[in-house]
Amino acid sequence: MRRRRLIIWLTALAALHAVIVCAGFFAPYDPVEQDRQRPYLPPMRIRMVDVHGQFHLRPFFYALHLREGSFDEFQESTDNTVPLRFFVSGSRYRLLGVAPCRWHLFGADGARVYLLGSDGYGRDLFSRILYGGQISLLAGLLGAGLTVFLGAVLGTAAGYYGGWRDELLMRAAELFLALPWLYLLFALRAFLPLAVSPLEAFLLVILVFSAVGWARPARLVRGVVLSVKERDFVRAARGFGATNSYLLRRHILPETSSVLLTQAAILAPQFVLAEMTLSFLGLGVPEPTPSWGNLLANLQQYNVLVSYWWMYAPAVAIVPFFLGYLFLASSLQESADAYKTR
Amino acid sequence: MQELLRVENLVKRYAAKKYRAAGEAPGALEGISFSSQPGATLALVGESGSGKSTLALCIACLERPTSGSIWFDGCDVTALDETQLRAVRPKIQLVFQDPASSLNPRLTALEIVAEPLLIQRRFDKREQFEKARALLDRVGIPLEKAGQKPDEFSGGQRQRLALARALALEPRLLILDESLSALDCSVQAQIANLLLELQSSLGLTYLLITHDFAMAAHLADEIAVMDQGRIVEMAAAEKVLRAPEREVTRRLIAATPEFRVAALTPKVV
Amino acid sequence: MRYFLRRLAQVVFLLIGVSILTFLFSTLAPGNYFDEMKLNPQISPETVASLRAQYQLDRPILVRYAGWVNSIAHGEMGFSFAYNSPVAPLLRVRARNTLLLTVTATLIAWALALALGIWSATSLGRLPDRAISWATSALLVIPDLVLALGLLILAVRSGWFPTGGLVSVGFESLSPLNKLRDVAMHMTLPVVALVLSALPILVRHVRAAVSEVLDAPFLRAAAGHGIPRRRLLYRYALRAAANPLISLFGFSVGALLSGSLLVEVVTSWPGLGPLLVEAILARDLYVVIGGVLLSTVFLVGGNFLADMMLYWADPRIRTEPGGR
Repeated sequence: MRRRRLIIWLTALAALHAVIVCAGFFAPYDPVEQDRQRPYLPPMRIRMVDVHGQFHLRPFFYALHLREGSFDEFQESTDNTVPLRFFVSGSRYRLLGVAPCRWHLFGADGARVYLLGSDGYGRDLFSRILYGGQISLLAGLLGAGLTVFLGAVLGTAAGYYGGWRDELLMRAAELFLALPWLYLLFALRAFLPLAVSPLEAFLLVILVFSAVGWARPARLVRGVVLSVKERDFVRAARGFGATNSYLLRRHILPETSSVLLTQAAILAPQFVLAEMTLSFLGLGVPEPTPSWGNLLANLQQYNVLVSYWWMYAPAVAIVPFFLGYLFLASSLQESADAYKTR
Repeated sequence: MQELLRVENLVKRYAAKKYRAAGEAPGALEGISFSSQPGATLALVGESGSGKSTLALCIACLERPTSGSIWFDGCDVTALDETQLRAVRPKIQLVFQDPASSLNPRLTALEIVAEPLLIQRRFDKREQFEKARALLDRVGIPLEKAGQKPDEFSGGQRQRLALARALALEPRLLILDESLSALDCSVQAQIANLLLELQSSLGLTYLLITHDFAMAAHLADEIAVMDQGRIVEMAAAEKVLRAPEREVTRRLIAATPEFRVAALTPKVV
Repeated sequence: MRYFLRRLAQVVFLLIGVSILTFLFSTLAPGNYFDEMKLNPQISPETVASLRAQYQLDRPILVRYAGWVNSIAHGEMGFSFAYNSPVAPLLRVRARNTLLLTVTATLIAWALALALGIWSATSLGRLPDRAISWATSALLVIPDLVLALGLLILAVRSGWFPTGGLVSVGFESLSPLNKLRDVAMHMTLPVVALVLSALPILVRHVRAAVSEVLDAPFLRAAAGHGIPRRRLLYRYALRAAANPLISLFGFSVGALLSGSLLVEVVTSWPGLGPLLVEAILARDLYVVIGGVLLSTVFLVGGNFLADMMLYWADPRIRTEPGGR
């Protein structure tokens, strides 16, 4: 029963991630493609029934044009139904970063379809959200992975060898755990170069995460290693002449896997959020590369906040991921506890 | 006949700060000396805290003594470093008290028994598993269960597994650290008989560590009584049982239910 | 008393460690305030060099650290290049605002959490409990940033609450009562954001702790003696549940502090958060160090307070050998 729930959440989460990974396919347009004629367009309504009451088999939408005498109010051109086409050929992208491809899930001829509206430069928000997810999620996952790895290495060294290594690690961990992590993250980011390329910023952010977040996984791993080290089956293996690396590899580290997985599931969404926060404040991934954080940065302008509510959409996009990760983490925690009391 | 094992003035004291609560500290050894003949069984009997397990760990080379020496087959194992020790380890094997913790719950029975061969890099993969199957058969584990994990075995069967594993490297000395104490009485008898049978067919030397006098009497040629880190009495099993000299020994014998003493007959050589 | 002194010593060591750590990080900085100045063609290189020397940035790190510690003793905490003033006065005002926000949010969050958690625990499995659990799960899933921005949009579009700043224009001329009301109105948005983000975890833990205690044998025995339910709850159950909850309190202080950084920036509340972000963007070294250190002081102070409360509340800690 428990395993089934875990699998369900994993599949759902994997599906969500798959959409993001194949952002090029699901997004109708290139994320940096601008259309200065159409800034801040509201989301377009996809209809099946037109204004005359006629049902169309193929979904369509009405293109928007500027209302007479207004700068910022748009109106639908009801005389021109633009049909939605599926599996269209559009702008070039690289599927999974390798294979060049031109297929998109949907698109339209004659007018741009803005599912979620456009931003100040006329860029399609829907496409930007999908691509932005790549950055934010990857930062979160890589960051969590690196952190957990670092924590595992340090925690194992401390727990297995003990002595001064252990003391040093514990004091350091206490220090890092005592700090408000967001402040530390910011401080660390502060001391690194400000104006960097998107790739550098991305890597920087991940490194900073690990430097801040290693302490808790390290402590947990150390605890596990300490208790497993004293178990009789480890002693027995040593009695057969096993080397330290064999003991660690075969007996001790497998016991840490559940702790590490749970920590990764807990940390990943936290780090996605941290990347969003950094980018939101201009300290993370810079324009024009979209990330969920810098997509939300527009909301710091008062007029955007008041008039263009669809710019809030990226914030909502992260919620299903958070939900997925949360349930994944609690399922992992549950099955870990169940295993222990077996 | 040359003695297989000789312990000289073994002292082991644990650093105090490692153990906060005094009750938890394993018993120290304050100068243990004895020797054991090949093919024979020596029982070390004593109450908890007398240092029995510490002695077992030292002889199995799993703990370093504070001072003193252990001579095995003419070689001082306390003077060897870890690499040299690796060559000696196969000859001295330890069977723990609690099979639940001495067997890795994630491995199958076959993997557990084959592990010593894997560690010592003897034979190839296929042969390792063949030998493991032979060992399982030897100790009376049905071969259909070879792919199961320890939690699917009973207590007695788990101890058989531990025994099979200990025999994998063809040791000469087998240390049984309270190996029978966690088992039910009837199962104890079965395992005890298995031990006797293995000893006669494989020529093993046993060091039996227990607090159960009856078991000692049933299995051992010689009995050494331990109290507070020292050996206070050591003689042939019959003699210690019928005519104990020390108060400690008498107390231990008195603690053993009479029917057990009667049921477990002294060893017939 | 010995316990108190020992914990105090630990706190001091921790703060020293943190200051060293942040100072160390600052040496990694390949760029600083003056690099930006160098890029400005209007300022001559000599001016830049003399300013660098004046602020001792070209001295080895130990000297700088010593100088900084010295300036703390003088109540300055280093110098802000951007504001052209000692760091301490800058921090003082902002810190006061942050504390105001965080303390208020903590009190409200805990009051709500206790109420909801106890209610949940006493009606375990029934409708109130299920409704509360569902609501907290829903809140838990919404990250702080999303929550804060959402509330901001709500506030802006509805116009109910002012968004931004501590006080309105014309604050000085208000009566004391109105002044209070003005600040409270401005505080509403950030406090609500903070409370909502902290509430789910607190409620869950309170519920868990109280329900565990309610199940305990000693409480059943007390009930068997005929002690009325309400007294059972407040005088017996809560005191037993106090231990894990007080530890949680220490932890929640840290979480709220971290959360306040973001909330302050989003809602334009003039606290340490926006100051820190500005300082980072302006590469204002000492302000960043000072800000991080100060927030650590608050965090550690909160934990210390929690430890003292725990010591007072739980007699077991006093009798344990070694105190902890």
